[in-house]
Amino acid sequence: MSGDANGLTVDLKGAVDRNVIDDVGVPAGAELLAFTNAVQIGDRDVDKTRAALVAAVGEEATIEAAATVAIFNGLVRVADGTGIKLDAGVFAASIEERDYLDLNAFTGAANSADVQRIEGRAPSAVNELFG
Amino acid sequence: MNEIEQAQLDATAALTSPGDWMSGRRRRAAWTEARDARTNELDRARAAALSPTSVEGSHAATKELSAAEVEVVHRVASDPGRLTRSWADELIAIVGEEVYTELVGVTAIVSTIDTFQRAMGRAEAVPPAPHDGEPARDRPADVGDVGAWVSQSTGPTKANVSRTLSLVPVTNRAWRSLVDSHYSRGAEFMNMSWDFPLSRPQAELVATRTTALAECFY
Repeated sequence: MSGDANGLTVDLKGAVDRNVIDDVGVPAGAELLAFTNAVQIGDRDVDKTRAALVAAVGEEATIEAAATVAIFNGLVRVADGTGIKLDAGVFAASIEERDYLDLNAFTGAANSADVQRIEGRAPSAVNELFG
Repeated sequence: MNEIEQAQLDATAALTSPGDWMSGRRRRAAWTEARDARTNELDRARAAALSPTSVEGSHAATKELSAAEVEVVHRVASDPGRLTRSWADELIAIVGEEVYTELVGVTAIVSTIDTFQRAMGRAEAVPPAPHDGEPARDRPADVGDVGAWVSQSTGPTKANVSRTLSLVPVTNRAWRSLVDSHYSRGAEFMNMSWDFPLSRPQAELVATRTTALAECFY
């Protein structure tokens, strides 16, 4: 994904594990994950984690991080609320990652149980999802 | 005012204006219910249970919303990762797929706006008074069964996440504006090394953790 495109080796397992607050291969990753956890599950003080993030990446990037947490709160609700399937191309391209990260255990995985490879152009990567 | 804040103001206005099948008053009522879900005892008990269906109790109707409509908003707001097709089918049979989808959209927009305010250490926005007027009642001609729980745009090149609310165009416009200003940024979304203060890998890290915490498979 973008980690590869930017010359980074990202610890995906750490990225999805709520107990990991570490850089996981991304600059300021620890501050970003602490802030995200604070906002999302309240396991630490939001104001303190936001201040630490400002110190690490600056005010504008912190606002963008807040916007990203916010919009993904909406995105998970439209995705799971309307029961969409994983796009066939993404489904095929992410078999190993989904298994490695235990994502198939999520309830919403049932929506994609019958996804088949389809003919023609279909999204197969993150940067093709918002057409 | 930056693009993010402007988009939120626009979405706020849209939530209290006539929508696709719901009046501004009913959309505003859904906003209130979505916000209530954060502290509602039944929602918290369901979210904490191994199975949400194991918890006794139900949501009551309000002056503006039926009990089924309140249930849609509260479950989507409080425990989206564990929604099931059977749950959705049951509620869609009662409220209709258009209203169901509009309620999902309103809830998602409220969740986005409130989460941003909380992240920035600000007070939650007070919903403005509802605007009078009639809903659009426009069911797009190009929607159909694409494998989701509700009808969606049938365009072959559309990603599923891009067409979640395509059944309800008024709500979808407000939603897509939020997505574009908060994350996808138009054509820049194709650029894996975009030049914004928050780098692409940093944005994806935040997105990944957020969706994992919500147990979202997509």
